[in-house]
Amino acid sequence: MDRDFLLAGLMLAVPTVVLLMLPVYNRADPPLFGLPFFYWFQGVWLFIAAGFYLVAARILVRRLGE
Amino acid sequence: MDSATIVFVVLFAIFAALGFGASKWRKGDMRELGEWALAGRKLGIYLAWFLVGADLYTAYTFIAIPEAVYLHGSVYMFAVPYVMATFAVAMIVMTSLWKISKEKNYVTAVDFVKDKFNSKTLAILIAITGIVAELPYIALQIVGMQAVLIVMLQPYFTTASAITSVSEFALIVSFVILAAFTFWSGLRGAVLTAVMKDIIILVSVVVIVIAVPLAIKGGFATAFSKAAAAGAISKVSYATLAPVLGPAFLSLFVLSALALYLYPHSINGVLGSKSAKSVRYSTAMLPLYGFGLFLLALFGILIFAEPNALAIIASQKNPALVVPALIYTTMPGWFAGFAFLGIFIGGLVPAAIMAISQANLLTRNIIKEFKKDMTPQQEARIAKWASVIFKFLALGFVFVIPASYAIQLQLLGGILIVQTLPPIFMGLYVKWLDKNALIAGWFVGILSGLYFIFTIPLNVSLHTLVTSLMSTPLGLLYVAAVSLSLNVVVVFVWSAIARMTKQKAQPATA
Repeated sequence: MDRDFLLAGLMLAVPTVVLLMLPVYNRADPPLFGLPFFYWFQGVWLFIAAGFYLVAARILVRRLGE
Repeated sequence: MDSATIVFVVLFAIFAALGFGASKWRKGDMRELGEWALAGRKLGIYLAWFLVGADLYTAYTFIAIPEAVYLHGSVYMFAVPYVMATFAVAMIVMTSLWKISKEKNYVTAVDFVKDKFNSKTLAILIAITGIVAELPYIALQIVGMQAVLIVMLQPYFTTASAITSVSEFALIVSFVILAAFTFWSGLRGAVLTAVMKDIIILVSVVVIVIAVPLAIKGGFATAFSKAAAAGAISKVSYATLAPVLGPAFLSLFVLSALALYLYPHSINGVLGSKSAKSVRYSTAMLPLYGFGLFLLALFGILIFAEPNALAIIASQKNPALVVPALIYTTMPGWFAGFAFLGIFIGGLVPAAIMAISQANLLTRNIIKEFKKDMTPQQEARIAKWASVIFKFLALGFVFVIPASYAIQLQLLGGILIVQTLPPIFMGLYVKWLDKNALIAGWFVGILSGLYFIFTIPLNVSLHTLVTSLMSTPLGLLYVAAVSLSLNVVVVFVWSAIARMTKQKAQPATA
Protein backbone atom coordinates (compact mmCIF):
# COMPACT_ATOMS: atom_id res chain seq x y z
CA MET A 1 0.00 0.00 0.00
CA ASP A 2 1.01 3.57 -0.74
CA ARG A 3 2.89 5.20 2.16
CA ASP A 4 0.86 8.45 2.00
CA PHE A 5 -2.45 6.64 2.25
CA LEU A 6 -1.15 4.43 5.06
CA LEU A 7 -0.01 7.45 7.05
CA ALA A 8 -3.25 9.39 6.47
CA GLY A 9 -5.27 6.31 7.44
CA LEU A 10 -3.28 5.94 10.65
CA MET A 11 -3.76 9.60 11.51
CA LEU A 12 -7.51 9.22 11.10
CA ALA A 13 -7.73 5.90 12.97
CA VAL A 14 -5.53 6.49 16.01
CA PRO A 15 -7.89 8.76 18.01
CA THR A 16 -10.81 6.35 17.58
CA VAL A 17 -8.68 3.31 18.45
CA VAL A 18 -7.44 5.04 21.61
CA LEU A 19 -10.99 5.88 22.72
CA LEU A 20 -12.08 2.29 22.00
CA MET A 21 -9.59 1.10 24.64
CA LEU A 22 -12.07 1.90 27.38
CA PRO A 23 -10.26 0.17 30.29
CA VAL A 24 -7.32 2.53 29.72
CA TYR A 25 -9.31 5.61 30.69
CA ASN A 26 -12.27 4.29 32.68
CA ARG A 27 -10.87 5.51 36.00
CA ALA A 28 -11.38 8.50 38.31
CA ASP A 29 -7.72 9.29 39.08
CA PRO A 30 -5.87 11.51 38.49
CA PRO A 31 -8.54 14.25 38.39
CA LEU A 32 -8.04 17.60 36.64
CA PHE A 33 -9.97 20.76 37.69
CA GLY A 34 -12.31 18.49 39.65
CA LEU A 35 -13.02 16.30 36.62
CA PRO A 36 -12.42 12.54 36.91
CA PHE A 37 -9.85 11.11 34.48
CA PHE A 38 -12.62 9.40 32.47
CA TYR A 39 -13.98 12.83 31.55
CA TRP A 40 -10.98 15.03 30.91
CA PHE A 41 -9.17 12.34 28.94
CA GLN A 42 -12.04 12.36 26.41
CA GLY A 43 -12.04 16.17 26.24
CA VAL A 44 -8.30 16.35 25.60
CA TRP A 45 -8.58 13.86 22.73
CA LEU A 46 -10.87 16.20 20.81
CA PHE A 47 -7.94 18.58 20.38
CA ILE A 48 -5.45 15.83 19.59
CA ALA A 49 -7.88 14.41 17.02
CA ALA A 50 -8.26 17.76 15.25
CA GLY A 51 -4.46 17.94 14.98
CA PHE A 52 -4.18 14.40 13.61
CA TYR A 53 -7.03 14.96 11.16
CA LEU A 54 -5.45 18.16 9.83
CA VAL A 55 -2.24 16.26 9.10
CA ALA A 56 -4.29 13.56 7.34
CA ALA A 57 -6.17 16.19 5.33
CA ARG A 58 -2.92 17.81 4.24
CA ILE A 59 -1.45 14.50 3.12
CA LEU A 60 -4.58 13.52 1.18
CA VAL A 61 -5.09 16.90 -0.47
CA ARG A 62 -1.46 16.93 -1.69
CA ARG A 63 -1.38 13.31 -2.74
CA LEU A 64 -4.64 13.47 -4.66
CA GLY A 65 -4.07 16.99 -5.96
CA GLU A 66 -7.48 18.17 -4.66
CA MET B 1 -41.19 41.29 31.72
CA ASP B 2 -37.76 40.44 33.12
CA SER B 3 -34.57 41.27 31.27
CA ALA B 4 -34.07 37.69 30.01
CA THR B 5 -37.39 37.79 28.18
CA ILE B 6 -36.77 41.25 26.72
CA VAL B 7 -33.32 40.34 25.34
CA PHE B 8 -34.69 37.10 23.93
CA VAL B 9 -37.62 38.77 22.18
CA VAL B 10 -35.55 41.59 20.68
CA LEU B 11 -32.84 39.27 19.37
CA PHE B 12 -35.40 36.87 18.01
CA ALA B 13 -37.07 39.69 16.09
CA ILE B 14 -33.74 40.55 14.44
CA PHE B 15 -33.10 36.90 13.68
CA ALA B 16 -36.55 36.45 12.15
CA ALA B 17 -36.14 39.55 9.99
CA LEU B 18 -32.88 38.10 8.65
CA GLY B 19 -34.37 34.66 8.10
CA PHE B 20 -37.46 35.84 6.31
CA GLY B 21 -35.55 38.51 4.41
CA ALA B 22 -33.18 35.80 3.19
CA SER B 23 -35.52 34.93 0.36
CA LYS B 24 -34.23 38.05 -1.40
CA TRP B 25 -30.58 37.11 -0.89
CA ARG B 26 -28.47 36.45 -4.02
CA LYS B 27 -31.60 36.70 -6.13
CA GLY B 28 -32.33 33.02 -6.77
CA ASP B 29 -35.75 32.00 -8.03
CA MET B 30 -37.36 30.74 -4.84
CA ARG B 31 -39.98 28.85 -6.77
CA GLU B 32 -37.45 26.30 -7.95
CA LEU B 33 -36.60 23.38 -5.70
CA GLY B 34 -32.86 23.37 -6.32
CA GLU B 35 -32.66 27.00 -5.33
CA TRP B 36 -34.85 26.55 -2.30
CA ALA B 37 -33.10 23.42 -1.08
CA LEU B 38 -29.40 23.76 -1.85
CA ALA B 39 -28.86 27.54 -1.75
CA GLY B 40 -27.53 27.20 -5.28
CA ARG B 41 -24.31 25.23 -4.39
CA LYS B 42 -22.31 28.41 -3.91
CA LEU B 43 -21.13 27.89 -0.34
CA GLY B 44 -17.47 28.72 0.20
CA ILE B 45 -15.21 27.02 2.74
CA TYR B 46 -16.08 29.14 5.77
CA LEU B 47 -19.79 29.47 5.20
CA ALA B 48 -20.05 25.69 4.74
CA TRP B 49 -17.92 25.16 7.84
CA PHE B 50 -20.30 27.41 9.77
CA LEU B 51 -23.28 25.45 8.52
CA VAL B 52 -21.92 21.98 9.25
CA GLY B 53 -20.18 22.88 12.50
CA ALA B 54 -23.17 24.72 13.89
CA ASP B 55 -25.25 21.63 13.15
CA LEU B 56 -23.43 20.05 16.08
CA TYR B 57 -24.99 22.57 18.49
CA THR B 58 -28.54 21.40 18.21
CA ALA B 59 -30.99 20.34 20.88
CA TYR B 60 -29.00 17.10 20.95
CA THR B 61 -26.03 18.94 22.45
CA PHE B 62 -27.85 21.55 24.51
CA ILE B 63 -30.72 19.47 25.84
CA ALA B 64 -30.61 15.71 25.19
CA ILE B 65 -27.03 14.86 26.19
CA PRO B 66 -26.94 16.98 29.39
CA GLU B 67 -30.32 15.52 30.35
CA ALA B 68 -29.13 11.97 29.69
CA VAL B 69 -25.93 12.49 31.69
CA TYR B 70 -27.99 13.94 34.54
CA LEU B 71 -30.44 11.00 34.53
CA HIS B 72 -28.26 8.06 33.50
CA GLY B 73 -24.70 9.11 34.27
CA SER B 74 -21.37 8.61 32.56
CA VAL B 75 -22.55 6.20 29.84
CA TYR B 76 -23.94 9.15 27.85
CA MET B 77 -20.49 10.71 27.67
CA PHE B 78 -20.24 8.43 24.62
CA ALA B 79 -21.24 11.56 22.72
CA VAL B 80 -17.69 12.91 23.06
CA PRO B 81 -15.79 10.07 21.33
CA TYR B 82 -18.73 9.88 18.91
CA VAL B 83 -18.29 13.41 17.58
CA MET B 84 -14.54 12.88 17.48
CA ALA B 85 -14.79 9.68 15.43
CA THR B 86 -17.56 10.80 13.11
CA PHE B 87 -15.35 13.42 11.47
CA ALA B 88 -12.71 10.83 10.60
CA VAL B 89 -15.44 8.83 8.86
CA ALA B 90 -16.69 11.96 7.16
CA MET B 91 -13.32 13.07 5.88
CA ILE B 92 -12.99 9.88 3.87
CA VAL B 93 -16.54 9.08 2.86
CA MET B 94 -17.95 12.56 2.34
CA THR B 95 -15.08 13.63 0.11
CA SER B 96 -15.73 10.61 -2.11
CA LEU B 97 -19.43 11.36 -2.17
CA TRP B 98 -18.78 15.05 -2.89
CA LYS B 99 -16.55 14.16 -5.86
CA ILE B 100 -18.99 11.78 -7.49
CA SER B 101 -21.92 14.13 -6.80
CA LYS B 102 -20.10 17.01 -8.43
CA GLU B 103 -19.20 14.91 -11.46
CA LYS B 104 -22.69 13.46 -11.96
CA ASN B 105 -24.73 16.35 -10.55
CA TYR B 106 -26.34 14.49 -7.64
CA VAL B 107 -28.27 16.49 -5.05
CA THR B 108 -29.00 13.70 -2.54
CA ALA B 109 -27.30 10.43 -1.56
CA VAL B 110 -30.32 8.66 -3.00
CA ASP B 111 -29.42 10.06 -6.45
CA PHE B 112 -26.11 8.24 -6.05
CA VAL B 113 -27.70 4.96 -4.94
CA LYS B 114 -30.23 5.01 -7.77
CA ASP B 115 -27.57 5.62 -10.40
CA LYS B 116 -24.99 3.23 -8.98
CA PHE B 117 -27.27 0.22 -8.49
CA ASN B 118 -29.82 1.07 -11.14
CA SER B 119 -32.67 0.14 -8.82
CA LYS B 120 -35.76 2.26 -8.29
CA THR B 121 -36.89 0.05 -5.38
CA LEU B 122 -33.63 0.42 -3.50
CA ALA B 123 -33.56 4.19 -4.10
CA ILE B 124 -37.09 4.64 -2.81
CA LEU B 125 -36.39 2.51 0.28
CA ILE B 126 -33.36 4.65 1.10
CA ALA B 127 -35.36 7.85 0.55
CA ILE B 128 -38.14 6.64 2.87
CA THR B 129 -35.57 5.68 5.53
CA GLY B 130 -34.06 9.15 5.37
CA ILE B 131 -37.44 10.84 5.69
CA VAL B 132 -38.62 8.68 8.61
CA ALA B 133 -35.30 8.78 10.49
CA GLU B 134 -35.33 12.59 10.46
CA LEU B 135 -38.72 12.73 12.20
CA PRO B 136 -37.58 11.81 15.73
CA TYR B 137 -34.53 14.04 15.24
CA ILE B 138 -36.79 17.01 14.41
CA ALA B 139 -38.99 16.08 17.38
CA LEU B 140 -35.92 16.37 19.57
CA GLN B 141 -35.33 19.91 18.30
CA ILE B 142 -38.91 20.85 19.19
CA VAL B 143 -38.36 19.42 22.70
CA GLY B 144 -35.27 21.62 23.00
CA MET B 145 -37.04 24.81 21.87
CA GLN B 146 -39.85 24.03 24.27
CA ALA B 147 -37.39 23.54 27.17
CA VAL B 148 -35.99 27.05 26.74
CA LEU B 149 -39.44 28.64 26.65
CA ILE B 150 -40.57 26.70 29.74
CA VAL B 151 -37.64 27.98 31.81
CA MET B 152 -38.15 31.51 30.53
CA LEU B 153 -41.90 31.49 31.14
CA GLN B 154 -42.08 29.64 34.46
CA PRO B 155 -41.53 32.75 36.66
CA TYR B 156 -44.72 34.27 35.19
CA PHE B 157 -46.86 31.30 36.20
CA THR B 158 -46.88 30.42 39.88
CA THR B 159 -49.82 28.13 40.49
CA ALA B 160 -49.45 24.38 40.10
CA SER B 161 -52.17 24.13 37.46
CA ALA B 162 -50.39 26.74 35.34
CA ILE B 163 -47.38 24.49 34.88
CA THR B 164 -48.92 22.32 32.20
CA SER B 165 -50.21 25.38 30.39
CA VAL B 166 -46.68 26.84 30.32
CA SER B 167 -45.40 23.76 28.68
CA GLU B 168 -48.22 23.45 26.14
CA PHE B 169 -48.10 27.12 25.24
CA ALA B 170 -44.31 26.86 24.79
CA LEU B 171 -44.74 23.87 22.52
CA ILE B 172 -47.27 25.57 20.24
CA VAL B 173 -45.14 28.72 19.94
CA SER B 174 -42.02 26.68 19.08
CA PHE B 175 -43.84 24.72 16.45
CA VAL B 176 -45.52 27.64 14.70
CA ILE B 177 -42.22 29.54 14.48
CA LEU B 178 -40.46 26.49 13.05
CA ALA B 179 -43.11 25.86 10.42
CA ALA B 180 -43.25 29.48 9.26
CA PHE B 181 -39.47 29.79 9.12
CA THR B 182 -38.98 26.72 6.93
CA PHE B 183 -41.87 27.49 4.65
CA TRP B 184 -40.77 30.97 3.72
CA SER B 185 -36.99 30.87 3.65
CA GLY B 186 -35.68 27.41 2.79
CA LEU B 187 -32.02 26.55 3.18
CA ARG B 188 -31.09 30.04 2.06
CA GLY B 189 -32.68 31.41 5.22
CA ALA B 190 -30.92 28.76 7.28
CA VAL B 191 -27.57 29.59 5.69
CA LEU B 192 -27.83 33.33 6.09
CA THR B 193 -29.07 33.11 9.66
CA ALA B 194 -26.39 30.48 10.35
CA VAL B 195 -23.78 33.22 10.64
CA MET B 196 -25.81 35.13 13.23
CA LYS B 197 -26.87 31.87 14.87
CA ASP B 198 -23.27 30.66 15.10
CA ILE B 199 -22.04 33.88 16.62
CA ILE B 200 -24.81 33.85 19.22
CA ILE B 201 -24.37 30.13 19.90
CA LEU B 202 -20.58 30.19 20.12
CA VAL B 203 -20.60 33.23 22.41
CA SER B 204 -23.23 31.58 24.63
CA VAL B 205 -21.36 28.28 24.70
CA VAL B 206 -18.01 29.86 25.56
CA VAL B 207 -19.50 32.10 28.25
CA ILE B 208 -21.73 29.50 29.90
CA VAL B 209 -19.17 26.70 29.96
CA ILE B 210 -16.76 29.03 31.76
CA ALA B 211 -19.11 31.18 33.86
CA VAL B 212 -21.59 28.56 35.08
CA PRO B 213 -18.99 26.20 36.64
CA LEU B 214 -17.32 29.25 38.25
CA ALA B 215 -20.66 30.44 39.64
CA ILE B 216 -21.22 27.10 41.35
CA LYS B 217 -19.68 26.76 44.79
CA GLY B 218 -16.89 24.21 44.72
CA GLY B 219 -17.16 23.77 40.93
CA PHE B 220 -16.82 20.35 39.38
CA ALA B 221 -15.32 18.67 42.44
CA THR B 222 -18.38 19.47 44.55
CA ALA B 223 -20.77 18.64 41.70
CA PHE B 224 -19.20 15.21 41.23
CA SER B 225 -19.36 14.38 44.94
CA LYS B 226 -23.02 15.47 45.12
CA ALA B 227 -23.76 13.49 41.96
CA ALA B 228 -22.10 10.45 43.51
CA ALA B 229 -24.28 10.81 46.61
CA ALA B 230 -27.44 11.04 44.49
CA GLY B 231 -26.20 8.19 42.28
CA ALA B 232 -25.71 5.92 45.28
CA ILE B 233 -29.48 6.07 45.82
CA SER B 234 -30.58 5.98 42.17
CA LYS B 235 -27.90 3.37 41.25
CA VAL B 236 -26.38 5.57 38.54
CA SER B 237 -22.61 5.83 38.15
CA TYR B 238 -21.19 9.28 37.46
CA ALA B 239 -17.43 9.45 38.09
CA THR B 240 -16.56 6.43 35.96
CA LEU B 241 -18.43 3.90 33.85
CA ALA B 242 -19.94 0.83 35.51
CA PRO B 243 -18.25 -2.16 33.79
CA VAL B 244 -21.64 -3.59 32.74
CA LEU B 245 -22.16 -0.47 30.58
CA GLY B 246 -18.82 -0.71 28.76
CA PRO B 247 -20.22 -2.46 25.65
CA ALA B 248 -23.15 -0.01 25.63
CA PHE B 249 -20.81 2.98 25.73
CA LEU B 250 -18.61 1.64 22.93
CA SER B 251 -21.46 0.57 20.65
CA LEU B 252 -23.31 3.88 21.10
CA PHE B 253 -20.08 5.71 20.28
CA VAL B 254 -19.20 3.71 17.15
CA LEU B 255 -22.69 3.37 15.68
CA SER B 256 -23.56 7.02 16.25
CA ALA B 257 -20.31 7.97 14.51
CA LEU B 258 -21.27 5.83 11.51
CA ALA B 259 -24.84 7.15 11.45
CA LEU B 260 -24.38 10.93 11.55
CA TYR B 261 -23.31 11.43 7.96
CA LEU B 262 -26.03 9.17 6.62
CA TYR B 263 -28.70 11.66 7.68
CA PRO B 264 -29.98 13.57 4.67
CA HIS B 265 -29.38 16.92 6.37
CA SER B 266 -25.67 16.18 6.99
CA ILE B 267 -25.19 15.13 3.41
CA ASN B 268 -26.97 18.27 2.19
CA GLY B 269 -24.52 20.49 4.07
CA VAL B 270 -21.48 18.74 2.60
CA LEU B 271 -22.78 18.74 -0.96
CA GLY B 272 -23.11 22.52 -0.75
CA SER B 273 -19.29 22.83 -0.47
CA LYS B 274 -17.19 24.29 -3.27
CA SER B 275 -14.24 21.85 -3.48
CA ALA B 276 -12.95 18.49 -2.20
CA LYS B 277 -10.15 20.34 -0.47
CA SER B 278 -12.57 22.45 1.52
CA VAL B 279 -14.53 19.33 2.54
CA ARG B 280 -11.33 17.74 3.90
CA TYR B 281 -10.00 20.77 5.77
CA SER B 282 -13.29 21.93 7.25
CA THR B 283 -14.07 18.38 8.42
CA ALA B 284 -10.63 18.01 10.00
CA MET B 285 -11.25 21.00 12.26
CA LEU B 286 -14.75 20.01 13.31
CA PRO B 287 -13.70 18.01 16.44
CA LEU B 288 -12.85 21.40 17.97
CA TYR B 289 -16.55 22.18 17.99
CA GLY B 290 -16.91 18.99 20.06
CA PHE B 291 -15.26 20.61 23.06
CA GLY B 292 -18.36 22.72 23.64
CA LEU B 293 -20.45 19.57 23.52
CA PHE B 294 -18.10 17.97 26.04
CA LEU B 295 -18.52 20.88 28.48
CA LEU B 296 -22.29 21.08 27.98
CA ALA B 297 -22.57 17.34 28.71
CA LEU B 298 -20.91 18.10 32.05
CA PHE B 299 -23.83 20.38 32.95
CA GLY B 300 -25.68 17.13 33.66
CA ILE B 301 -23.26 16.72 36.59
CA LEU B 302 -22.96 20.41 37.54
CA ILE B 303 -26.66 20.68 38.20
CA PHE B 304 -26.28 18.50 41.31
CA ALA B 305 -24.41 21.41 42.95
CA GLU B 306 -27.07 24.02 42.13
CA PRO B 307 -30.22 23.44 44.25
CA ASN B 308 -32.19 26.27 42.58
CA ALA B 309 -31.80 24.69 39.15
CA LEU B 310 -32.76 21.29 40.54
CA ALA B 311 -35.86 22.92 41.99
CA ILE B 312 -36.97 24.17 38.55
CA ILE B 313 -36.60 20.65 37.12
CA ALA B 314 -38.56 19.22 40.03
CA SER B 315 -41.37 21.78 39.84
CA GLN B 316 -41.76 21.37 36.07
CA LYS B 317 -41.17 17.60 36.27
CA ASN B 318 -38.96 17.91 33.19
CA PRO B 319 -35.32 16.74 33.21
CA ALA B 320 -34.79 18.25 29.75
CA LEU B 321 -34.41 21.62 31.48
CA VAL B 322 -30.87 20.95 32.83
CA VAL B 323 -28.97 23.50 30.73
CA PRO B 324 -31.59 26.29 30.56
CA ALA B 325 -32.28 25.97 34.30
CA LEU B 326 -28.57 26.25 35.15
CA ILE B 327 -28.24 29.32 32.96
CA TYR B 328 -31.34 30.89 34.46
CA THR B 329 -30.23 30.42 38.07
CA THR B 330 -26.57 31.37 37.73
CA MET B 331 -26.34 34.05 35.02
CA PRO B 332 -27.53 37.68 34.92
CA GLY B 333 -30.94 38.06 33.27
CA TRP B 334 -29.82 39.82 30.10
CA PHE B 335 -27.20 37.17 29.39
CA ALA B 336 -29.64 34.35 30.13
CA GLY B 337 -31.89 35.86 27.44
CA PHE B 338 -29.01 35.87 24.98
CA ALA B 339 -28.06 32.26 25.72
CA PHE B 340 -31.70 31.13 25.57
CA LEU B 341 -31.96 32.57 22.10
CA GLY B 342 -28.81 30.65 21.15
CA ILE B 343 -30.31 27.37 22.32
CA PHE B 344 -33.70 28.17 20.80
CA ILE B 345 -32.39 28.88 17.30
CA GLY B 346 -29.94 26.02 17.86
CA GLY B 347 -33.03 23.85 17.61
CA LEU B 348 -34.92 25.93 15.08
CA VAL B 349 -32.35 26.18 12.30
CA PRO B 350 -31.29 22.50 12.25
CA ALA B 351 -34.95 21.44 12.40
CA ALA B 352 -35.60 23.62 9.36
CA ILE B 353 -32.62 22.12 7.52
CA MET B 354 -33.82 18.60 8.38
CA ALA B 355 -37.34 19.28 7.17
CA ILE B 356 -35.97 20.69 3.93
CA SER B 357 -33.85 17.58 3.37
CA GLN B 358 -36.92 15.42 3.89
CA ALA B 359 -38.98 17.47 1.47
CA ASN B 360 -36.16 17.27 -1.05
CA LEU B 361 -36.06 13.48 -0.84
CA LEU B 362 -39.81 13.17 -1.13
CA THR B 363 -40.17 15.29 -4.27
CA ARG B 364 -36.95 14.46 -6.03
CA ASN B 365 -36.50 10.79 -5.20
CA ILE B 366 -40.03 9.49 -4.63
CA ILE B 367 -42.77 11.56 -6.29
CA LYS B 368 -40.69 12.34 -9.37
CA GLU B 369 -40.13 8.62 -9.95
CA PHE B 370 -43.85 8.27 -10.60
CA LYS B 371 -44.65 11.67 -12.08
CA LYS B 372 -41.84 12.59 -14.45
CA ASP B 373 -43.46 15.64 -16.03
CA MET B 374 -43.56 17.91 -12.97
CA THR B 375 -42.55 21.52 -13.58
CA PRO B 376 -39.88 22.95 -11.25
CA GLN B 377 -42.54 25.23 -9.75
CA GLN B 378 -44.83 22.30 -8.97
CA GLU B 379 -41.89 20.44 -7.47
CA ALA B 380 -41.00 23.34 -5.17
CA ARG B 381 -44.62 23.80 -4.09
CA ILE B 382 -44.97 20.13 -3.14
CA ALA B 383 -41.66 20.28 -1.25
CA LYS B 384 -42.74 23.33 0.75
CA TRP B 385 -46.04 21.80 1.82
CA ALA B 386 -44.43 18.42 2.49
CA SER B 387 -42.00 20.08 4.89
CA VAL B 388 -44.96 21.46 6.85
CA ILE B 389 -46.66 18.05 7.01
CA PHE B 390 -43.45 16.35 8.16
CA LYS B 391 -43.16 18.83 10.99
CA PHE B 392 -46.65 17.89 12.17
CA LEU B 393 -45.57 14.24 12.18
CA ALA B 394 -42.49 15.16 14.19
CA LEU B 395 -44.71 17.00 16.63
CA GLY B 396 -46.61 13.74 17.11
CA PHE B 397 -43.44 12.18 18.56
CA VAL B 398 -43.25 14.98 21.12
CA PHE B 399 -46.67 14.01 22.43
CA VAL B 400 -46.06 10.27 22.36
CA ILE B 401 -42.66 10.22 24.03
CA PRO B 402 -42.10 11.65 27.53
CA ALA B 403 -39.54 14.41 28.02
CA SER B 404 -37.17 12.12 29.90
CA TYR B 405 -36.77 10.15 26.66
CA ALA B 406 -35.35 13.06 24.64
CA ILE B 407 -32.12 11.24 23.84
CA GLN B 408 -34.06 8.15 22.81
CA LEU B 409 -35.59 10.12 19.95
CA GLN B 410 -32.20 10.62 18.41
CA LEU B 411 -31.08 7.05 19.09
CA LEU B 412 -34.23 5.69 17.45
CA GLY B 413 -33.49 7.73 14.32
CA GLY B 414 -29.95 6.34 14.41
CA ILE B 415 -31.12 2.73 14.36
CA LEU B 416 -33.08 3.40 11.18
CA ILE B 417 -30.67 5.63 9.29
CA VAL B 418 -27.63 3.42 9.89
CA GLN B 419 -29.33 0.72 7.80
CA THR B 420 -28.58 2.85 4.73
CA LEU B 421 -24.85 2.45 5.33
CA PRO B 422 -24.28 -0.53 2.99
CA PRO B 423 -25.65 1.09 -0.20
CA ILE B 424 -24.26 4.58 0.51
CA PHE B 425 -20.87 4.17 2.25
CA MET B 426 -19.98 0.67 1.07
CA GLY B 427 -21.44 1.42 -2.36
CA LEU B 428 -18.80 4.13 -2.80
CA TYR B 429 -15.92 1.65 -2.51
CA VAL B 430 -17.09 -1.93 -3.06
CA LYS B 431 -17.77 -2.71 -6.69
CA TRP B 432 -19.52 -6.08 -6.50
CA LEU B 433 -22.50 -5.38 -4.20
CA ASP B 434 -25.75 -6.78 -5.58
CA LYS B 435 -28.84 -4.57 -5.55
CA ASN B 436 -31.16 -7.34 -4.38
CA ALA B 437 -28.71 -8.17 -1.60
CA LEU B 438 -28.84 -4.54 -0.48
CA ILE B 439 -32.64 -4.56 -0.50
CA ALA B 440 -32.73 -7.79 1.52
CA GLY B 441 -30.12 -6.43 3.95
CA TRP B 442 -32.17 -3.27 4.40
CA PHE B 443 -35.30 -5.27 5.28
CA VAL B 444 -33.38 -7.45 7.74
CA GLY B 445 -31.75 -4.41 9.38
CA ILE B 446 -34.91 -2.29 9.68
CA LEU B 447 -37.21 -5.11 10.78
CA SER B 448 -34.76 -6.55 13.31
CA GLY B 449 -34.11 -3.05 14.69
CA LEU B 450 -37.82 -2.37 15.15
CA TYR B 451 -38.37 -5.83 16.61
CA PHE B 452 -35.63 -5.34 19.20
CA ILE B 453 -36.89 -1.86 20.12
CA PHE B 454 -40.45 -3.02 20.69
CA THR B 455 -39.52 -6.16 22.62
CA ILE B 456 -36.99 -4.66 25.03
CA PRO B 457 -38.32 -4.89 28.55
CA LEU B 458 -38.31 -1.42 30.11
CA ASN B 459 -36.22 -2.44 33.08
CA VAL B 460 -33.46 -4.09 31.16
CA SER B 461 -30.57 -3.08 33.39
CA LEU B 462 -29.61 -1.22 36.51
CA HIS B 463 -30.77 1.82 34.63
CA THR B 464 -34.38 2.37 33.83
CA LEU B 465 -35.51 3.85 30.54
CA VAL B 466 -32.42 2.87 28.57
CA THR B 467 -34.64 1.69 25.77
CA SER B 468 -32.19 1.72 22.88
CA LEU B 469 -29.96 -0.91 24.47
CA MET B 470 -30.45 -4.67 24.35
CA SER B 471 -28.91 -7.62 26.17
CA THR B 472 -26.62 -9.75 24.02
CA PRO B 473 -23.95 -12.38 24.74
CA LEU B 474 -21.45 -9.50 24.44
CA GLY B 475 -23.28 -7.47 27.10
CA LEU B 476 -25.63 -4.51 26.69
CA LEU B 477 -25.42 -3.18 23.14
CA TYR B 478 -27.03 -0.34 21.19
CA VAL B 479 -29.72 -1.97 19.02
CA ALA B 480 -28.25 -0.35 15.90
CA ALA B 481 -25.04 -2.38 16.35
CA VAL B 482 -26.90 -5.67 16.18
CA SER B 483 -29.30 -4.78 13.37
CA LEU B 484 -26.57 -3.22 11.19
CA SER B 485 -24.42 -6.33 11.66
CA LEU B 486 -27.29 -8.53 10.45
CA ASN B 487 -27.83 -6.17 7.51
CA VAL B 488 -24.15 -6.25 6.48
CA VAL B 489 -23.93 -10.05 6.77
CA VAL B 490 -26.96 -10.47 4.49
CA VAL B 491 -25.54 -7.97 1.98
CA PHE B 492 -22.14 -9.66 1.77
CA VAL B 493 -23.31 -13.28 1.74
CA TRP B 494 -26.04 -12.61 -0.83
CA SER B 495 -23.75 -10.51 -3.03
CA ALA B 496 -21.03 -13.17 -2.91
CA ILE B 497 -23.49 -15.89 -3.94
CA ALA B 498 -24.95 -13.69 -6.69
CA ARG B 499 -21.47 -13.02 -7.99
CA MET B 500 -20.52 -16.71 -8.07
CA THR B 501 -23.68 -17.70 -9.92
CA LYS B 502 -23.09 -14.88 -12.41
CA GLN B 503 -19.52 -16.03 -13.04
CA LYS B 504 -20.75 -19.57 -13.60
CA ALA B 505 -23.46 -18.38 -15.95
CA GLN B 506 -21.17 -16.21 -18.07
CA PRO B 507 -19.03 -18.92 -19.74
CA ALA B 508 -22.21 -20.79 -20.57
CA THR B 509 -23.73 -17.85 -22.43
CA ALA B 510 -20.45 -16.96 -24.18
